[in-house]
Amino acid sequence: MTWIVWRQQRPVFITLVAGLVVSVAAVLLLRAGMVADLQAGDLAGCLPFGSECGIRAADGFQDTWFDRLRLAQGTVLAAPVLIGVFIGAPLFAREFEQGTHALAFTQSVGRTRWTVTKFLVAGLPALVVVGVYQLVVHSWLEAAGELGPLSASTFYFTSFDAQGVSPLAYTLFAYTLGMAAGALFKRTLVAMTVTLGLFIAARVLIGDVRESLVTPTRLITNDLDVNAVVPGRPLVVDAGFLDSGGAVVADPTPMMNCTDRADAQGGVDWSACFRENGLAQRYADIVPAGQATTLHLLEGSIFAGLAVLFVLGSTWAVRRQV
Amino acid sequence: MNAGPVRAEHVAKHFGRTKALDGCSFSLPEGSVTGLVGPNGAGKSTLLSLIAGLAKPTSGEITVHGTAVRGRMHPDVALLTQKRPLYDQFTVREMMRAGAAMNDRWSDERANEVLDLLAGVDEDAKVGTLSAGARTQVAIAVALGRLPKVLLLDEPLSDLDPLARDETLRIVMTEVAERGTTVLLSSHLLTDLGDVCDHLLLLDEGRVQVSGDIEEILDEHHVVVGPAELELGVDGVVDSSRTARQATALVRGGTVPEGFQAARPDLEALVMGYLRASRTRRLARR
Repeated sequence: MTWIVWRQQRPVFITLVAGLVVSVAAVLLLRAGMVADLQAGDLAGCLPFGSECGIRAADGFQDTWFDRLRLAQGTVLAAPVLIGVFIGAPLFAREFEQGTHALAFTQSVGRTRWTVTKFLVAGLPALVVVGVYQLVVHSWLEAAGELGPLSASTFYFTSFDAQGVSPLAYTLFAYTLGMAAGALFKRTLVAMTVTLGLFIAARVLIGDVRESLVTPTRLITNDLDVNAVVPGRPLVVDAGFLDSGGAVVADPTPMMNCTDRADAQGGVDWSACFRENGLAQRYADIVPAGQATTLHLLEGSIFAGLAVLFVLGSTWAVRRQV
Repeated sequence: MNAGPVRAEHVAKHFGRTKALDGCSFSLPEGSVTGLVGPNGAGKSTLLSLIAGLAKPTSGEITVHGTAVRGRMHPDVALLTQKRPLYDQFTVREMMRAGAAMNDRWSDERANEVLDLLAGVDEDAKVGTLSAGARTQVAIAVALGRLPKVLLLDEPLSDLDPLARDETLRIVMTEVAERGTTVLLSSHLLTDLGDVCDHLLLLDEGRVQVSGDIEEILDEHHVVVGPAELELGVDGVVDSSRTARQATALVRGGTVPEGFQAARPDLEALVMGYLRASRTRRLARR
């Protein structure tokens, strides 16, 4: 059975491998060019950012390379949906369209085994390809270091979604979604459209709520002038003031009072004014950069859970097919 | 009790409110070649997939060689469906390898024997490039590689040219002669059926109208011809037609109406009579 699926998917695998070889070659070439630029401008020595030396050179470097790096992250974001639409959706839909499912059904292979074998044999290479490509792109981004997109928070969506287990989780989700849509609708084009639409919808929805999957850490400072300084660019979920009892002050009146006074007097001692108005401390609810992996795993498990449902759904749809 | 390798008892298959099959009972003798006929939508394909085990009957039971068929391909049955599904991108050789991989019981020897019959099929050709006749031969090779005791063929001749049709039937007949396989094949091509079938199963609107040995069935029926003004006045009239001069009828049973001349029908006339009657009934209901 494995051999049959392998043979059926052969053109797909060839395309997949050819695509991987070409893109990896392109990324490695670009990376080499970029590293040469870095060395030519001796930019590595100028870090951390903002030191006097070579700000102009760094600007020139970013003009050339920053968007290309972002684009590379973009391709990692796009890979899962491509897998879902072009490998997942046709997997069963094409069999039903061409009637070849009847060939398998009239032999002695069980339908569940047929479904599971197709799922595994067609899916695993796709996952491997996405994983390899993700690592190659990441090595390019790391070479740019603080001069590239990684200088932003690790939680910034293009970085977060292109890192850790996320690309693989999205790929698994997109692939199984396409597979289930194909098994259910039995039309390749319909399945492809449904996959594209639902994948984007699910990514946007879950991307919006994923921050609430981890309990943020509350940082409190008595200095009312500035927020607590946090190392390592965390995700700031919420920030504001606490009263003397330690409760969050949601009422904007104290803020407005002080702004009014500042306007009236042409300047104000903010911290004293805040205290007069009953604000005692500043707080920031953050997810530390170190917890990014946890968030990757939590979000990934949601997508993996949905993928399990889709596999079960596909099996059900195939079993009830006459 | 176990009369025959294939037995159906009060088999019904309903799709929602449509009754594709209803109360079908029949039995096929071992080594027989049965022609399954009936108008479009009579439930022929449904019956074949129920016997194979591709679908479960709503009620009733089908047994093949004594074991009940339960929603799963019966190991002793091979079914060739109407579209002759094969993997078009595979070569014939790869297709046979796929057949071996998908079956618990498989004989390469038997499959290759079928491929070598007649002109022979080029094993390195892609299945998608084969002629309709060669494609059917490959599909039959896959079906017979399973070493079935019961072979079900759904419209195996539908889009074949006369030569390929003849050759396909010869492959099937060789199988029956050599291995005593029981064959049930549905077809619209009555003349071809007459050459190979010894039994008949006539379905209409999901019910068995006629079932049994063709010679016995033909003996049981008469085509009667008489003057137009005479009434038939007997039971068992399947179908009748009148022109200005004469009345013709297909009658089941021994009695020949008075004033009519009786003759033994041939298979084509018999089946046509039943098909016409079916259409008349359906039109009358509208």
